[in-house]
Amino acid sequence: MSDRQKTPSYGRALLQLGAMAGGFVIAISLGHHAFVESLKPPPAPPAPAAAPPSAVSGGGFTLTSTSIALPDDDPPYPAGPGADLMNGNCTACHSASMALTQPALSKAQWTSTVEKMRDTYKAAIAEKDIRAIVEYLTKVSAQAKGDGLSAPTSDAGGASG
Amino acid sequence: MAQTLSDSVTHRRLFLAGAGLLAATAFAPRSWAQAGADLRLPGGPSTRPLTDAFPGKRGMILQRTRPPLLETPMSVFDQGVFTPNDQFFVRWHWANVPTEIDATTFKLNVRGRVGRPLSLSLADILAMPRVQMAAVNQCSGNSRGLFQPRVPGAQWAHGAMGNAKWLGVSLRRVLDLAGVQPGAVAVRFNGLDQPVVDGAPDFSKSLSIDHARDGEVMIAFAMNGAQLPLLNGFPIRLIVPGWFSTYWVKMLSDIEVLGAPDDSYWMAKAYKIPDTPLANVAPGAKDFPTVPINRMVPRSWITSLADGASVAYQPHLPVGGIAMGGDAGVARVDLSSDGGRSWAPARLGPDEGKYSFRRFDGMVAVAGRGPVALMARCTNTAGVSQALTPNWNPGGFMRACVETTHVVLS
Repeated sequence: MSDRQKTPSYGRALLQLGAMAGGFVIAISLGHHAFVESLKPPPAPPAPAAAPPSAVSGGGFTLTSTSIALPDDDPPYPAGPGADLMNGNCTACHSASMALTQPALSKAQWTSTVEKMRDTYKAAIAEKDIRAIVEYLTKVSAQAKGDGLSAPTSDAGGASG
Repeated sequence: MAQTLSDSVTHRRLFLAGAGLLAATAFAPRSWAQAGADLRLPGGPSTRPLTDAFPGKRGMILQRTRPPLLETPMSVFDQGVFTPNDQFFVRWHWANVPTEIDATTFKLNVRGRVGRPLSLSLADILAMPRVQMAAVNQCSGNSRGLFQPRVPGAQWAHGAMGNAKWLGVSLRRVLDLAGVQPGAVAVRFNGLDQPVVDGAPDFSKSLSIDHARDGEVMIAFAMNGAQLPLLNGFPIRLIVPGWFSTYWVKMLSDIEVLGAPDDSYWMAKAYKIPDTPLANVAPGAKDFPTVPINRMVPRSWITSLADGASVAYQPHLPVGGIAMGGDAGVARVDLSSDGGRSWAPARLGPDEGKYSFRRFDGMVAVAGRGPVALMARCTNTAGVSQALTPNWNPGGFMRACVETTHVVLS
């Protein structure tokens, strides 16, 4: 405080400028805060205290009821001939990653897998679609050297058998 | 230490890279998710995202989102012989997994060839005498991604396994409460998960009546001192010590004592292995007799050094890891630094029980700088040792061979 008393007049002017600038920054901050607040939904009425999850205890051990939310599913199958059939027939039961992480498998191996999905695991795959699904899988798995996420392209269909 | 697992280094580097991407672009989380662990599977694809997105789990290798297949990074196994619950692997067959379990209304039913069918609440189960056991839970297809030639299925590296201290009640006691009747031959176990598609086979597994009543099989309500994560089968799951985890039915809700062998799909058709030593057949073989997969076999993994790591040369290199005896205890672990030509014994860590992982540590002599192939070989208390040659079968089940960790000394 004693320093300020000794400040020459131009210094006092600087301090005043500083104070103004500070006030401006505070005003901007308040405005920003008000803007952000305006994006939020109106405050909810105070919620009743959430009931603690129910639990069962015995012999010094407690089991507490549990509820979880699983993450969203993977993105759909990469675009390419047959991708619509993949998304329509395969994603009901499992994520695309199940197929996209497979090694390079032959057309015969993929055919046997697709038939197993239909016959044993009851995927509703029409007979006429099996060929295109097998082609897609054979192509993708032949390409998938790296992260298993690349889309099939038309020039990579050689690996089969 | 110099031999920090590159797994964890990679994880940190990805985290930093991810943070940079987040600053750079709104699409960063997606890009970040596409990088992750490198499982070094022969022929690929080898990279998988690391995920924190599943409740109760962190830092897991994402094999499949739905139904979840989450693998434990190898670096976790270097931290201790017990696998933390939030890093324990996850595997579900059907996407219809309940995401909400009310502990106050949950019931375990016991029925079939019994004198008194039971409907046990969790309070009933908590009031029963308890048993505790350390046991390795290993997926039948653990390490399937390393089979050569490659085979279809979940492409796991070595992390579809974990070890925990299981606390619960003896299955034998529960069966005795219900009163198993003469003529019982098997016991079938079913959980709350359901198929997504009508007519598809509900997942269930069975054990012979003698196995079910052996006093070791248990119904666990706790792992490592806490209730089970929902994704590991809350509120109760079956523990079948020494056997592959396909039998360790999660969210166990139904026990049925059968008067005839279980001929349902998951016993009669799925999880079948060649009826040969180590389930081994020549690639391409067909029409061999099969049996349901059953007992585990000895395995061991070097965890102090990651495959592909580069480390500073030292004439005596410290090597550590974990071993399991399968259906027996770990008797010894030997180490080799010359591709299996010569072996030297490792020092074993504390014995947590015959079905537990056991730590091993030792020093191997290395000739000089350059590449070196490190191996660990477990011998169990029944005298069974790991073979150097990989076993193979079309299901990709029961990999058993000595694993090689390639490192470069510079």
